[in-house]
Amino acid sequence: MDETVTEGQPATPPALASAPPDFAALYEEHSRAIFYLALRFLGDQTKAEDATHDVFLRAWRKWSEFRGDASPRTWLYRITINHCRNLRQTWAARNLVTNVDDAVWETAPARTDSPLRALETKELGQRIQDALDALTPEYRLLLLLVADEEMSYDEVAELTGQTQDAVRGKLHRARKAFAAAFAKSDQGRYETKNQSHAV
Amino acid sequence: MKQKTNLTPSEQQAAAEEKEATVREFASTEELLRHDAGQVEVPPIVAQRLNESIKSEPKGKSWWQRLTGR
Repeated sequence: MDETVTEGQPATPPALASAPPDFAALYEEHSRAIFYLALRFLGDQTKAEDATHDVFLRAWRKWSEFRGDASPRTWLYRITINHCRNLRQTWAARNLVTNVDDAVWETAPARTDSPLRALETKELGQRIQDALDALTPEYRLLLLLVADEEMSYDEVAELTGQTQDAVRGKLHRARKAFAAAFAKSDQGRYETKNQSHAV
Repeated sequence: MKQKTNLTPSEQQAAAEEKEATVREFASTEELLRHDAGQVEVPPIVAQRLNESIKSEPKGKSWWQRLTGR
């Protein structure tokens, strides 16, 4: 891969001066989405920074082999998901983390068609993290992927190794679980609209 | 017994932020997450570290080396 930058090409962002312009552009375009997925999936700022670095370093090593069969975003998400899953498995083996019980949320009194109300404060991010942490990793991942407007249901299904119908079914439960956890995350201060009337 | 009458600077800041905060309504979980994603920035240290890592990576094989497996 040619690493020289010739005149007339767009300037490489200084932060990735070591990389050729096409890879630097890949980082510029997708690093935010990758960091966000890692941050909310792992729930830890430092680990998300490490993961983002590791994902792009892996992408750099494989960059010459990337043929564009999938979109770059999907390709990077696949690397991120594998990396984060490996990290979580390592922690689980070390700490014997128990999985969240799906059944708790199946009966949770929350609606998915109710708007979520929240004060726009810096604590909002923490509330969202707390709500996501209460979900199973599978639900958490599905919500994060579907929230990315660049991702189609087809791509999410492919990334998570299931059918589109399965994704849709699980998403319904994931949204419900999230709404319940989000409302619970700040009881007494904020509320989910119509929560008290929800069945 | 002492009674607390004045707020500490951090409490004052928190109270000010609270006062300025606006209630937002999100139609769906995805919309809330998209809003959240929009607030998150990648720390510059990540790009700096990646830059250093890329610099220390061995140079890739040329196309003919890959083709011949050398």
